[in-house]
Amino acid sequence: MDTSTLKGLYRDMWLIRAFEQGLEREFEQGNVPGMLHTGLGQEATQAALAAHLEATDAFFPDHRCHGINALAQHRHGGNGERIMAELFGRATGVCSGKGGSLHSADPTVGNFGDNAVEGSYMATVLGVALAAKMRGEPNVACAIIGDGTVGRGEFHESLNMAAIWDLPVLYACVNNGYAISMPVGEGHATADIVELAKGYGIANQQVDGNDIVEAWTAVGDAVGRIRSGEGPYFLEFKTWRWQGIFAGEFRPEAEVKYWREERDPIMLAAEALAKRGATPAELDAIEAETRDLIEEWISFAKDSPAPDPAKATADVYAGWEVAAR
Amino acid sequence: MTVAADKPRRTARTPRKGKDRVRKTSFTQALNGALDLAMEKHDEMFLIGEDIAEMGGDFGVTKGLLAKYGAERVRDTPLSEAAIIGTCAGAAMVGMRPVAEIMFADFIAECYDQVVNNVAKLHYMFDGQFTAPLVIRTACGGGFGGGPHHSQSIEGWFLNVPGIVIAAPSNPVDAKGLLLASIDSDDPVLFLEHKALYRSRAEVPPEYYTTPLGKASIAREGRDVTVVAAMRMVPMALEAAETAAADGISVEVVDLRTIRPYDATTVLASASKTGRVVVANEAPRIGGLGAELSARISEECFAQLRGPVVRVDGLDTPIPFSVPLENIVLPDSDNIAVAIKAAAQY
Repeated sequence: MDTSTLKGLYRDMWLIRAFEQGLEREFEQGNVPGMLHTGLGQEATQAALAAHLEATDAFFPDHRCHGINALAQHRHGGNGERIMAELFGRATGVCSGKGGSLHSADPTVGNFGDNAVEGSYMATVLGVALAAKMRGEPNVACAIIGDGTVGRGEFHESLNMAAIWDLPVLYACVNNGYAISMPVGEGHATADIVELAKGYGIANQQVDGNDIVEAWTAVGDAVGRIRSGEGPYFLEFKTWRWQGIFAGEFRPEAEVKYWREERDPIMLAAEALAKRGATPAELDAIEAETRDLIEEWISFAKDSPAPDPAKATADVYAGWEVAAR
Repeated sequence: MTVAADKPRRTARTPRKGKDRVRKTSFTQALNGALDLAMEKHDEMFLIGEDIAEMGGDFGVTKGLLAKYGAERVRDTPLSEAAIIGTCAGAAMVGMRPVAEIMFADFIAECYDQVVNNVAKLHYMFDGQFTAPLVIRTACGGGFGGGPHHSQSIEGWFLNVPGIVIAAPSNPVDAKGLLLASIDSDDPVLFLEHKALYRSRAEVPPEYYTTPLGKASIAREGRDVTVVAAMRMVPMALEAAETAAADGISVEVVDLRTIRPYDATTVLASASKTGRVVVANEAPRIGGLGAELSARISEECFAQLRGPVVRVDGLDTPIPFSVPLENIVLPDSDNIAVAIKAAAQY
């Protein structure tokens, strides 16, 4: 990886972190409705995926997806602030505030929307991939999932169908060690999810999800293989989420300390850049620049109006109107 | 489904010459013809389901289509209902027009999440950025000893789900027209095929035509009592109407044809006209179609009603295997006839 690529990814990771930290602050102040699942600690995985997925591809973001949503929106649409506005439930959001954190979509940037029922889009991704294959388009359909999704039947139905039909699906499993509070090794027959892909005969790789160079290289290789018609590919990113559960932190103190202080993906990337000659001032400037951008997005969201009341009953059906109260 | 046994019967039914030249078409053949015409019309359409390709489906609805359209567009799957409907949803999101077959309606429980949380909400939750132009065909209903998992009427499971359309034909002509309308529609349609109707026959126009979704029909005009029904309950209601006519009661039968969104205009107009209403429904009573119709009619036609709406439903039980027991659980034309009399005499 050349240094300018690494610098770009470093900036992307900071954009995600600034986004999530700004959002956390606003959530705590009561400005963001609903629930909040952040991708803090998983920035390298998201930046690596976002870097290789084009607007003509389709990705289904996972539960901790604000980062990749914002990056795709920023890169392909030039309007990342619309993801922020969606999380605030505003008219200027990508779904006019009707979707929120777990249902933000914009197909013009390749974002096909999260689905808050884990595993659901493991099935949906098959259809997008099948359509691409039937039309002879070189597009990738990517399902980004957590380790918890492995427990759902659709995970297995999906791997099986993608394998028998050779579909252009990229499975990106973000294994952060826990499904809410359930440790991955207790919830599944194996803590190495990639082992399950092997059972379905799907090409696969397990990567260090906190190492941006390794993650970016692996995604690029997988996407290239899928585009050239080699069928599905399964990537497992070993990573760790910073956010605990709603009840607070439940993981051993030593584990928290290790991942936050020794395995922070942004810190690791900064070290790699420093070795290549980047100065602390240069790196600080990247952080400051992304934090400023996110504050602009937050202001945009806050200044945006609530959705038009007519939106409450709009688009239930394509062919029928639904009566207002 | 023994083809050899079917052959002589079909031959015997085919008129050789003379005025009666129009060969009657079965409900199954009407659906098959609709799929064939739609596959010709829509390049982006494909069929997907279990044993639908070489075998032509459990009830023969997709027979012959593999040979004509190939395995890319007539696609067999493993026993993975969630993946089938998910595949349809994803393909529809990028402009394809998939038609799935879920072999028995009971199996829809396997993909209930896909239908309820994904397909039905795609258009709404993403602010109209996606549509879900897909059809889920499925064989429903009892009356043939299919037992608890091959006999259920499932429309009630979806009545409370905004975003889904439920088509429910009662005869071969509507079956073809509604299926073509469902495939043309940009909304997701759950297309219910009552198993007891597959062998029913009628003169079905061979050309492409659509029967509008969301529009009921008056299957029989009458003055005294309205019966609102769908699917197999329609022929049963027509039979009961004959019985009532012998007693001097003139019965109007409203065939809903679409259960969601249903044609309230036609239902309420008929109820207002006769002032006496029977609602016939094969599914269990509580929280079902009959409950919705009864409530709506009572609410909006109260001043015109001359008695309470009478419900005829399945009993509040699963469907037993033994046919004598099944006959107790499921409503029939006699039950409807009794209800008509009760409504008329109130």
